[in-house]
Amino acid sequence: MITLESGSFAYDDGPTLLPDVTLAVGPGEYVIVAGASGSGKTTLARLLAGQTGGDAGSSFRGAITLDGETVRFDGASTDPRIDAAAWSARVAYVAQGGWGQLSMMSATVGEEIAFGPANRGVPAGELRRLVTEVAAALRLTDLLHRDPRRLSGGQLQRTVIASAVVQRPRVLVLDEPFQGLDDDAAQDVAAALAGLRRDGTGVVVCEPMLPRTAPQGARVLALAEGRRVFDGPLVEARRAGLPRYGIGTAGDPPRPEQGAGPAPVDPSAPELVAVARVSFRHAHDGGGPAGDAPDGHAPDGGRAGGAGLSGVDLSVRAGEIVAVRGPNGSGKSTLLQHLNGLHRADAGAVTVGGLPILRQPTGTLAATVGYLFQDTDQQLFERTVLREVAYGPRAAGLAKDDAARRAVEVLEAMGLGSLARSHPYELGFVQRRLVAVACLLATGPPVWVLDEPTAGLDGPTRSMLAGLLVQRAGEGGAVVLATHDASFADAVAHRTVWLEAGRVRTGDAAPGA
Amino acid sequence: MPRRRIYDPLTELLAAVLLVVLVLVVNRWEFSLAVLVLGVLPAVLLSGRPRQIGLAIALVTGPLLVSSLLLHGLFFPEGRTVLADLGIARVTAEGLSFAALMGLRMGVFSGVLLTAAMTLDVPELLASMTHRGWNRKLVFVVGSAVGLIPHVALRGQRITRAQQARGLVVGRGPLSRFRALLTVLTPLVIGLLVDASERNRMLEARGFSSPGVRTSYLPDTDSPRQRLVRRCMVAAVAVFSTVWLVASP
Repeated sequence: MITLESGSFAYDDGPTLLPDVTLAVGPGEYVIVAGASGSGKTTLARLLAGQTGGDAGSSFRGAITLDGETVRFDGASTDPRIDAAAWSARVAYVAQGGWGQLSMMSATVGEEIAFGPANRGVPAGELRRLVTEVAAALRLTDLLHRDPRRLSGGQLQRTVIASAVVQRPRVLVLDEPFQGLDDDAAQDVAAALAGLRRDGTGVVVCEPMLPRTAPQGARVLALAEGRRVFDGPLVEARRAGLPRYGIGTAGDPPRPEQGAGPAPVDPSAPELVAVARVSFRHAHDGGGPAGDAPDGHAPDGGRAGGAGLSGVDLSVRAGEIVAVRGPNGSGKSTLLQHLNGLHRADAGAVTVGGLPILRQPTGTLAATVGYLFQDTDQQLFERTVLREVAYGPRAAGLAKDDAARRAVEVLEAMGLGSLARSHPYELGFVQRRLVAVACLLATGPPVWVLDEPTAGLDGPTRSMLAGLLVQRAGEGGAVVLATHDASFADAVAHRTVWLEAGRVRTGDAAPGA
Repeated sequence: MPRRRIYDPLTELLAAVLLVVLVLVVNRWEFSLAVLVLGVLPAVLLSGRPRQIGLAIALVTGPLLVSSLLLHGLFFPEGRTVLADLGIARVTAEGLSFAALMGLRMGVFSGVLLTAAMTLDVPELLASMTHRGWNRKLVFVVGSAVGLIPHVALRGQRITRAQQARGLVVGRGPLSRFRALLTVLTPLVIGLLVDASERNRMLEARGFSSPGVRTSYLPDTDSPRQRLVRRCMVAAVAVFSTVWLVASP
């Protein structure tokens, strides 16, 4: 149905990727393209989606065959251009990061899902039927009237997938579709994909790790540093020694270099985070256009999860790592943003590092609490990586040169030294996330608050992050992380707090492993 | 609460544009003032977000008013009635009245257009244009232009939040807020440019450039009566303008 024969691909003057890689996907097939950061899986996904990059200075040599029609590329300026509209009617592509894929022309989730078919002139009645059907399959029915820009990360991800599924494409290419989804949502997405495959759609899923479960007969194409390292059934891939290429299996515990898990917490250690009976309601969560909030303030920076908080208590001591878990939209991000003052409680009290969060400006808390946003793109705003990492130390009062020196030290320590002059937008997903973590390290606050820190990370980076968290706690810091990554939480956290619809589920404050 | 929508967005947008045309054609300060007081002011107050719209109008009109007052109030060449002689500059009654005319006119322009743009339900406008069978690229251009303000505001808020989370202190004073605004500008502009290029690719991938007629998920809020009203409005303004321009000396 679709066959990609790649001779080579190069971005501008970058290294050659995907030499002699061939991928053929037949009707109803399920192919996993697995690879660590920088392996070329996103490049491969884009090629399948017809984005050969000829207009962006990239050079692709090879051929793509779709339904018997072959388009050849020689890496020259005379290469044919793929008609994106016609191609995308048959090959749907869901890239990473939900926010960037919203049309920004829809006020509701329903319109957003309908955007693709509406572009192709599907009649209104049929449009409504398709949207209702897909929304039911992905449990989005209750969200159909909501503003897509104000969803939680997991809800947004499901909306973006629904927008692709609704097009009933011949081939569906998804770049890390399960990122940031809770278990139920991941199952819904898997079921929707199974439904498409029954109707003959070929599905290609890019993942940083091998999935724990996958449909029967799933095939794996494993990539490392732009080259093919394995091609075959998933069962064989599990025995093929792929971890040496940084391709682990999802759900495996991280393996920090230090090896050991977190040290026991000293019960007499000072309490660094104290949340007492906190309740909170989002100011606005209607279906109106963005910026329509009564105070002109988008809750959660435009991604309120729906649930507020209701009488939440949380206490974290120095040296302790606490995981906050719960379904998509249960209020995890909302709780986390109370810890650095981005949200202020309607009732109850929040104290961080001995500092009660009252009416002081949010920025004054940054030296005490470091925050990692769920959406890294929301976090990075400077024009070079160096300036980005030096921003925190500068804001904390360091002189410009000292801040730059501190940033360089941290970047070198994390192996990102060569990227110092790059623009954060030029980096891959994992590198951007590492830059965001480097920002935390450079500022050096005692309390770290991390929203879905492992989403989309490959095995080695995930293990490195585990090491950094354990190290932070070992140095007397406190770490609070919201995550769907059960094995990561079990490996690094001392205990887990469960949230459900904005409340702490009692009787569940079980210790981690 | 945002106001309840009574008319189709196309009707509202057209009414705003025709009002601007009328102000230009009539060209009298009394008329501009009447439109400002009887039209723009109630519309802003009833919009459900008078604070933001008022601020936007002040930001756009304020500097224009000041420069118009300085330019025409002090250096109006046809000024005869001198109120104060300041050497190289003369404050004249004619200059001041001209400045008032220009200022009022600019006030009406920005008031009418900003109120319309900031209260319009953009997706509903796009749906309405789609139902009318307008060219989809034109729909997109209009949608992007009208939807730019809320989009930029949202994006700016996200960057400010990230900066605050990383140590940018925004105080309550106007100076501190102004500094925060400057800090947000560079990343905002870069972010919007990156957004624009990625959005183009994303729109292509979702079939936006497909040939043929586009359909709409939203029901049509337009009605034959409103279409008739729109045609009548255009005709009435055209007739009035012709008569006015021919009849006036």
